[in-house]
Amino acid sequence: MKTYKYLFIAVLSIFWTGCENKLEINPTDNLPGELALTSEANVAAILIGVYQEMGQEDTYGGELQLMDDLIGTTEEVNWGGTFIDPRQAITKSLLVDNFYVESIWENSYESINQSNLVVDNIAIVTSSPDEANRIEGEARFLRALAYFDLVRNYASPYQAGGGNSQLGVPLRIEGVLDYLQPLEIARNSVEEVYAQIIDDLQTAYSLLPDTNGFYADKYAAQALLARVYLQQGNYAGARDAANDVIENSGHSLAPTYDGAFNNETDGPEILFAFQKTSQVVAGTDGNQLVNFYASQANGGRGGDVRVQDAYLNLFDDPDNDARANFFYISPDNDERLTSKYTSQFANIGLIRIAEMHLIRLEANFEEGTSVGLAPLTEINALRDRSGASALTALTADIIFNERQLELAFEGFLIHDYKRTQRSVGDLAFDANALTFPIPQNEMDTNSLMEQNPGYGG
Amino acid sequence: MNSKLCAALVLLMVVIAPFSYGQEKTVTGTVTDQNSLPLPGVNVLVKGTTNGTQTDFDGNYSISAEEEQVLVFSYLGQRNVEMPVGASNTMNVQMEEDASLLEEVVVVGYGTQSKRSLTDNIVKLTSEDIAEVPNPNIQNSLVGKAAGVQITQTNGKVEGGINIRVRGAASVSGGTQPLYVLDGIPLVDPVGNNNDVGNGAPTNPLLTLSANEIESIDILKDASSAAIYGARGANGVVLITTKRGKQGKAKFSINLAQGFSQPTNKREWLNTEEYIELFTEAAVNGLGEEDGIAEAEATFDFLAGDTDWRTREVDTDWTELAFQNGFQTDADFSVSGADEKTSYFFSGAYNNTDGIVRDNALERVNARTNLSHKFSDRFTTSMNLGFSRTEIDRIANDNAFASPMQAIAQSPLSQAILPDGTPNPNTLYGNFLLDARNAFFKTIVRRITGKVAGEYKFFDALKFNSDFSYDYFGQTEDNYRGQNALFQSTSGQAFASDLGSESYVFSNYLTFDKIFADKHNINVILGTEYNQNNRRITSVTSQQFPGDDLPTVSGGAEVTAGTGVEQKNTFLSYFARATYSFDDKYLLKASVRQDGSSRFGSNERFGIFPSISGGWIISEENFLKDSNVLSFLKFRASYGELGNAEIGNFASRFLFSAVAYNQRPGIAPAQPGNPDLTWEKSQQTDFGIDFGFLDGIISGEIDYYVKNTEGLLFAVPLIPSSGSSIINRNIGTLKGQGYEFVLNTRNVSKENFTWTTNLNISNNTNELQTLPNGGADIVTGENINRVGETLASFYLREFAGVDPANGDALYYLNSENADGTLNRDTTTDPNEARRIAIGNPFPEWYGGLTNSITFNGIDFSFTFQGEWGASIYNGGGRFQSASADYYDNQSIDQLRRWQQPGDITDVPQARLFGGNGTAESTRYLDEADFIRLRNLTLGYTIPSQTVEKIGFSKLRVYITGVNLLTFTDYKFEDPEARSDVNDSRNPGSTFYSSPPAKTFTIGLNINF
Repeated sequence: MKTYKYLFIAVLSIFWTGCENKLEINPTDNLPGELALTSEANVAAILIGVYQEMGQEDTYGGELQLMDDLIGTTEEVNWGGTFIDPRQAITKSLLVDNFYVESIWENSYESINQSNLVVDNIAIVTSSPDEANRIEGEARFLRALAYFDLVRNYASPYQAGGGNSQLGVPLRIEGVLDYLQPLEIARNSVEEVYAQIIDDLQTAYSLLPDTNGFYADKYAAQALLARVYLQQGNYAGARDAANDVIENSGHSLAPTYDGAFNNETDGPEILFAFQKTSQVVAGTDGNQLVNFYASQANGGRGGDVRVQDAYLNLFDDPDNDARANFFYISPDNDERLTSKYTSQFANIGLIRIAEMHLIRLEANFEEGTSVGLAPLTEINALRDRSGASALTALTADIIFNERQLELAFEGFLIHDYKRTQRSVGDLAFDANALTFPIPQNEMDTNSLMEQNPGYGG
Repeated sequence: MNSKLCAALVLLMVVIAPFSYGQEKTVTGTVTDQNSLPLPGVNVLVKGTTNGTQTDFDGNYSISAEEEQVLVFSYLGQRNVEMPVGASNTMNVQMEEDASLLEEVVVVGYGTQSKRSLTDNIVKLTSEDIAEVPNPNIQNSLVGKAAGVQITQTNGKVEGGINIRVRGAASVSGGTQPLYVLDGIPLVDPVGNNNDVGNGAPTNPLLTLSANEIESIDILKDASSAAIYGARGANGVVLITTKRGKQGKAKFSINLAQGFSQPTNKREWLNTEEYIELFTEAAVNGLGEEDGIAEAEATFDFLAGDTDWRTREVDTDWTELAFQNGFQTDADFSVSGADEKTSYFFSGAYNNTDGIVRDNALERVNARTNLSHKFSDRFTTSMNLGFSRTEIDRIANDNAFASPMQAIAQSPLSQAILPDGTPNPNTLYGNFLLDARNAFFKTIVRRITGKVAGEYKFFDALKFNSDFSYDYFGQTEDNYRGQNALFQSTSGQAFASDLGSESYVFSNYLTFDKIFADKHNINVILGTEYNQNNRRITSVTSQQFPGDDLPTVSGGAEVTAGTGVEQKNTFLSYFARATYSFDDKYLLKASVRQDGSSRFGSNERFGIFPSISGGWIISEENFLKDSNVLSFLKFRASYGELGNAEIGNFASRFLFSAVAYNQRPGIAPAQPGNPDLTWEKSQQTDFGIDFGFLDGIISGEIDYYVKNTEGLLFAVPLIPSSGSSIINRNIGTLKGQGYEFVLNTRNVSKENFTWTTNLNISNNTNELQTLPNGGADIVTGENINRVGETLASFYLREFAGVDPANGDALYYLNSENADGTLNRDTTTDPNEARRIAIGNPFPEWYGGLTNSITFNGIDFSFTFQGEWGASIYNGGGRFQSASADYYDNQSIDQLRRWQQPGDITDVPQARLFGGNGTAESTRYLDEADFIRLRNLTLGYTIPSQTVEKIGFSKLRVYITGVNLLTFTDYKFEDPEARSDVNDSRNPGSTFYSSPPAKTFTIGLNINF
């Protein structure tokens, strides 16, 4: 009897102490963060992760452009979608808890943090200087892109010649790994943010190769720099950057206007695009432009962004201009939709060469120069691609209008209004309502954050 | 030492050969009930020993005992009889019924205990409480019957999740559900709030169980009882015990039921006439006379399609289309019995339920075998094995256009179905009927739960139990969206997933149980348990189908997505419990459990969870013993500490995940790390009184408890500009407290007429005491965690009504004045209005009242249930009741809109695209108090003399109704309709959520 008892207790105690190593379980579906920054391959993989992050629906997957198109429009399109948040953009009555305003902000800073991690750890990339340069250059390009769209949407407009000490967005240029440390941060000035963007783009330009597949190359950086300079009213800078791209990038206008859109592989016109395939996960990294701008048969919700007669009326040669006929009627709601987004697995073009021509000609016009090409010649060359008749004279208004004809529904209008200080309907270019609020959840968590004027402070 | 060897050695202990035992004289006899009918299954025990037996089917027993020893006869519901063994070898006993509930035996985890001697707070529900409601969700039949246990179904979908809150909310981000333990097997919920499978909405983790398998459900409410489950006990523990054979000949039982169901409530929406009137007015107000009318008419033209809205040709009631007539069939069968050595229970059950929401259905088959065999006086083994197959036709979660409930947003001007019989594709929102006709989402769950157990008695007072249990949950999902399904543009899409979750538990424990000197009753349990869960998922998606006739993944020409998930977690636990009672008057208990889990960082891996409790049965004292009025009085007090470890397998780890960009592999941060993360700890103190008056005619319990939770697990929102959105942290402390009051009365107890009443009322309040970062608010969506407020209070702008001068919606500024008061001026700009903490998502009071009456062969019972103090936020309000902000059909109350200066109303002027009052605000918050006639049953048992002639022992017919009447002022769907979209950080909101079902059932019970 006693033997059994003691035997039993002995066995049991062996069992008790023997199995504790079973509590050590490591994840197999995820990579422990401690390992993520230990190899060159991982740093390169984080960079690819930044592209994936920025291509998500929240920002360059479409929602950022949707909000810009809607807040910039007066009569050209209407929003027939059922969602309240985009409707607040078109009615210029954004609320601080607007969901898109929150998700654009959040996604942009996630991308920024990830590109920061790449830049911070570039020393790990040792296989070749070219490889390190490429990786750092791309990360800086992506970071600049995110900051540029943040500062021009979430802060009062950059004012050419001004001190631009108005509140910009917080600059975080070091990656955060430890989220238990204090994370509060105040807003930098608009000037500081632009300085960072320009520094990143210039550095990227010097580091990146001439061509880089579908990833950003040096001319993508230069093209974005042209866009940034134009936004600042730095016409000379914009002109020279755009000229460099046009002259040296090897990109050219697609033979036809529709060739510039809905490409599953970037065509000659595309300087940089976020890549989409049939493997994208709807709801995360799908194509929200198609979702909101296209019919159901084309992969959308039926057509929420509806092109109005007011837009067609902008065309001076509607009969011949392919751009004036680049529409279709949605079978779902009988509304007129743009044909720019009709393929849900096509890439989302972010910078195309046509924009460089428009930047160069506008900058030449403003500066009274003809770097590369005379402005009138250049605008007519661009119009010719779409079959529009040649213009005989140029004014700032004609150039502004031409940008709408060429670039409408690509997110440009609101920023063109702001940089040229034109009113949006009855709202002045710097009206509070044309700037996004700082998202409510940032205000709730970051006591150093200041709200934009007009949003309740 | 490897685990195989561990297992082998301990199993060896189980099969050690039996040990022989000496003989005394043999006493035999017959036990009868008060009607002199033989009573099978009566426990006969030689007092002060563990030598016992049971009476057979004819009430006969045989036991060896020495003269002058005392035999104790006990049987559930009968008063114990003690008789000394005399010279005679025959002892016949007549037992008397004792309706006093205090004699109940409750399951306490690794053992049982009589409720009389309990120092814990445990509520027991028996098969009778759950059998008669033919609902596929077992928990639904417990509603209103257990004090301190709030049971809420999420909404009216048949497979829908169920919330059980034991003693109020104790956590938000951590698991909020109790630990379910089925015959000693802690059940995992492999689907739960995980978004890696399913349609984004949870399913009920007990969906695979059938009510006919269940003998009892014991809910461990206080820390003293739940502490034996340590790190997983903080939300309470629900112990489910399946049936086993009772001594006697084979008993056959057949139950059949057929039911019909409808929604408890349908909201009213505008008809065509009202819609045209309101939207024409709204368009004029929003856009001016000319533009407005043009805009409205153009939209009406589109909505009406080929029909003429001017003649009001179409008036579609979309609500009717979203619902269907529910229908249920329930059938089960069981055979059970036992002889002295072997007991057996076999059962099979079938349930087929068509839900009230269109195309939502469930079909389930269950089977169970529970066997045990006594090889000798020392050695018993048993095996429980249940398996089931549950097939669910799921519909989209509440936040999807394809959800039938979202059809209520459609305009009545639109035809649902075109004259050619196809769903109208040109509606305001995607027409869900396109999905109803052209898509399916089929989920099949196969579950096997089994346990092999051995019990060996070393000597009478000491036994050893070794249990090995296995729970396999296999779920497949097949979703096909045909070429004409809603928003379908890839020529069809198929998705298939396969989830396998297996959990095994190996428990070993020693039990010492002995009464010394007739007065000192000691029971000690010492044990260890190892629990491992493996969870694996694969899924694949394809598109481009040649046609809808090939709806499996392989029919698609292009495979576009695949996932693989593989996770594990383990728990290793040691536990001990000792109970001591002196003279059946003074009771003491202490327990301790140490849990280690793979879910926590190595620094915080182990936790110790102690408890202590005591009781005093004051009615056993001499000064009260002879009282005719007071028959039972016990004071209880307990203290214990519990944990909550439900926060995901790797919640503390800093993780990156793999991502793909243009088919190139990348990695991205997935989760910030928190090496300090540990379990939520809750400390609970409970004071209780159990009482019985007039021989148990009136009995009840009163409890007061304080439940402090420290280190609340919370997915804390980070500063968005930091680049990460949440971090799992242990934040602050929550103080919860409450009262529970239970009163049971036997109003009438005559031979042919009995009437009992059970009332329970519970109160629970909580308050956040501390939060990190100097007590800074933690805001998630419409909820806030703020020191001094209840957990997850609603945090909203305060709607101030309508400006009578111009119909503008107004909000209170609620900014802080210099003197600290709130500025109650109003504004029309929602951005100027500050949010305030207002409203509790959890009820403060809840309760139930059950009456049961039997009269001759008739039985009649009903249960009322009520909840008070909770609010629900209607996330759909800004679309549904939005002063015609957009063309969504509006709730009927919007007709009450402001129209001209001087109008006093709470509905702002209708303004198309005007956003007049559509900001998130208290306009869409409502109190969800209700009282509901939860259940009503009327049955008739045909007199046994009649049925025995045709070979039956019992034949009963009944009708029963569930949710028959609801009394509430709540404005939206139903106080028990909440959003099923996964995000536990935002409790208490509804979003196009289906009300629960109102069910009528007719049924038949046959025993033979």
